[in-house]
Amino acid sequence: MKKLKQNAPAIPILIWISLLVGMPLMFVVVLSFLSRDSLGNIVFRFTLENYKRIFDPVYLRVFLNSFILAVLTGLITLLIGYPVAYFTTKLQPKKRSFVIMLIILPFWISSLLRTYGWIILLGKTGLINSLLMQLNIVKEPLNMMYRFGTTLVGMAYMLIPFMIIAVYNSVDKLDKSLVEASYDLGASRWKTFLNITLPLTIPGIAGGFTLVFIPSLGMFFVSDLLGGGRTIFLGNLINTLVTRGRNRPLAAAFSVGMIVLVLLVLFIYNRVAKDKGEGLF
Amino acid sequence: MNARAGRFRTFYLSLFFVALYVPVLSVILYSFNESSSTAHWAGFTLNWYRQLFNDRVIAEAFKISIQVAVLTSVLSAIIGTATAIIAMYVTKKMKKAINGIMLLPLLVPEVALGISLLIFFSALKLPFGHLTLVLSHSLFCVPYVYIMVQLRLNDIDFSILEAAKDLGAARWQIIRTIILPLVAPSILTASLLALAISLDDVIISTYMSGAASTTLPVHVFSMMRVGVTPKVNALCTLILVGTFFIVGLGQLINKKANKKEAF
Amino acid sequence: MQEPLLKLININKYYGDSHILKDISLDINDGEFLTLLGPSGCGKTTLLRCIAGLVSIESGDILLRGESIKDLPANKRNVNTVFQNYALFPHLNVYDNVAYGPRIRKSMNETKLKRRVAEVLEMVQMSGYEERRPHQLSGGQMQRVAIARALINEPDILLLDEPLGALDLKLRKYMQTELAQLQKQTGTTFVYVTHDQEEALNMSDRIVVIHEGRILQSGSPREVYNNPRNLFIANFIGDRNIIKVKVLEKGDEYSRIRLGNHELYIRCSGNAECAGDMAVLAIHMDKMRISCNEMPNSLTGEVLSIHYAGSQIRTEVSVDGKKITVIEYRNSDCDYEAGDHVTITWEDSGAILLPMEDFEENGI
Repeated sequence: MKKLKQNAPAIPILIWISLLVGMPLMFVVVLSFLSRDSLGNIVFRFTLENYKRIFDPVYLRVFLNSFILAVLTGLITLLIGYPVAYFTTKLQPKKRSFVIMLIILPFWISSLLRTYGWIILLGKTGLINSLLMQLNIVKEPLNMMYRFGTTLVGMAYMLIPFMIIAVYNSVDKLDKSLVEASYDLGASRWKTFLNITLPLTIPGIAGGFTLVFIPSLGMFFVSDLLGGGRTIFLGNLINTLVTRGRNRPLAAAFSVGMIVLVLLVLFIYNRVAKDKGEGLF
Repeated sequence: MNARAGRFRTFYLSLFFVALYVPVLSVILYSFNESSSTAHWAGFTLNWYRQLFNDRVIAEAFKISIQVAVLTSVLSAIIGTATAIIAMYVTKKMKKAINGIMLLPLLVPEVALGISLLIFFSALKLPFGHLTLVLSHSLFCVPYVYIMVQLRLNDIDFSILEAAKDLGAARWQIIRTIILPLVAPSILTASLLALAISLDDVIISTYMSGAASTTLPVHVFSMMRVGVTPKVNALCTLILVGTFFIVGLGQLINKKANKKEAF
Repeated sequence: MQEPLLKLININKYYGDSHILKDISLDINDGEFLTLLGPSGCGKTTLLRCIAGLVSIESGDILLRGESIKDLPANKRNVNTVFQNYALFPHLNVYDNVAYGPRIRKSMNETKLKRRVAEVLEMVQMSGYEERRPHQLSGGQMQRVAIARALINEPDILLLDEPLGALDLKLRKYMQTELAQLQKQTGTTFVYVTHDQEEALNMSDRIVVIHEGRILQSGSPREVYNNPRNLFIANFIGDRNIIKVKVLEKGDEYSRIRLGNHELYIRCSGNAECAGDMAVLAIHMDKMRISCNEMPNSLTGEVLSIHYAGSQIRTEVSVDGKKITVIEYRNSDCDYEAGDHVTITWEDSGAILLPMEDFEENGI
């Protein structure tokens, strides 16, 4: 009874969140089981058709594309971002806070602008091509836009700050005496890194991977602008189904699929992080 | 630290930051290019900016974006701060539940969140426009405010609150006279962050905009899809300058507040 | 006998499974400087917080001027606390910190408030610091402000939770005198929590010794110092030689005991249980004297070592194989050096015979 009174002020918050997150998600689940008529209007008739269509090879391919994109984005941001984070921890405090500011600053820059920057760089008449042609390295402009790789570059570029911050925090938290002890015992820099630092920062890596993986599933504007819709990803598909195809039930089914994928990743992350005695959630 | 390792470190970090900022800088650079193509530099011009200011559609989208962002920021600041303060007083279990729930909007991919809100709001027959935009934006801005205010609350020495109580302050008086003044700088920074997030949002806004309420990013996105024009560069540059102005302002206020309190 | 200002009746407090306060009953009189003394973790701070209303009690009652305040929240009780870490409001200057209580209670208008703030700041010698912020003050200054902030409300009781704990030794000594003076000057009842026996002895009208959630003894500093109720207190307050002895004959006030080859008459502690076969002899090191002449009711032994530490001379003597430490502040009647045989005497009030019971427990 006392507890109930103590928790009473939290009720409006719970209502707010459940109204704006819980209810909509429930609606999506419900909608994913509904049909539509020939005009695209929703009909209240239960069907599994939408889920069956997910397993259509064409759509399955979309899932696979998204999954591959998300995993590769995670790997690239890790490979490039880990050294950045690691080196940053080694800097003197003053330099370090400046570098951290440089890493965080892109968060404040419009994500559209950052995507658009790559169009300017990679386009047929873009900066890189005109530079290469002026230097007579290539005769014909390189075709760098609208490929899977272009989307991958853009996605990694958008999300790498998340990875760096997550890894940085876990390297920074590392007990310095362990590293020193390892040097002291005669281990080389590399050995120390592989045997001490890397294993101890696995929770950070897992956290960064999760933070990169989830948004990369849904940022349709990156693949839209850089991939040109050649390879279809989940985000684009859902977006197209809603805005042009007027097939909301199918879009809902894909959304449910996407959320399941996210839950799977979070589950794995929690396992990894809990093993190491920490966790974000 | 041997010198070679140090040099490699500097080299790697420099290379990384060049790659991180070149795309952004080239957008800015080409907003001043006389030629409409990025193929070559034809000379400096402010022409694109002039065109921009004469574009009625952009002006309208800008107005809507600002209105939505300001409302979102105020709403998120209120709800986020209230939640953070309420979370101080509830049981441990409830606090954990609130923490988890607050992360939810950040964990669901934006597309899925956007679709679900679209479906939900149309089922409720809410008119798409300012209302739906503000509600959906504050949904993922509230968690940021909540987290930032909570970080600050954790810094407050608990005995200060006990002292206030001991001196006769009831709970709401403690909140008003002690807690709110102490977290005010964080609330401000967080609202500015909410402002920036709202101003930048593309995905959810795509679904939430009504026919007559296209936000600036949604409009910019559609412009970008058509192709590269320096007008987009100019617009992006202006947005960038605006955002940095907001961020800088927030930093300045925070620095001042920190100097005054130093704890 | 006047009605006590505050009456604690059988207070019990639990944190989870641990029983923090066990049946605490205590009367606190109007105007006294009462010290709750005990080692850390004994429950003294919890008791203070129970009086303040910052923690609730499971059973028992608290009466202030005869009325139960058990169910009143802290903000409704007319008692104020000075916290160990000062707990000044960092966003308010000294003036606003001190004025916080009256403003919240709306107990005076701004003109009167201004005068009162000036008064209490004067009292704690902090006039002229009104505009400073807490982070611009030293530890001692912050403590003074914290005291002023509490005193301005004219509380029935001022609760002080180890207020000098964070200060350095010199300042602590100085503040002790000042706090005692302040208490006399204002006439406010002080309940002071400390683990520092010296602080307690210097400042208090009455000391209440608490150990493991129980009150062991309550009495004037002299009483607690000279007549500890049991071995724990004897060991905790003052430096004593503590020796197991055999009781030969039990008297009303004095008992005859045997220590090695010596037979002595020693005063018994208040509780009569110092009768058994064995008892514990506790003698204040600094109430002993070394003499070269034979004396009645004394010990003889061989000097093991002599240390000169500032103004005090610390001599260790082996008496029938037991090591006894004597602390003197002036030279002895006679010259002696290590290896000499000497006689040890003591002031009668400095020696006491205690029951055996908790000998093992105190690990002596």
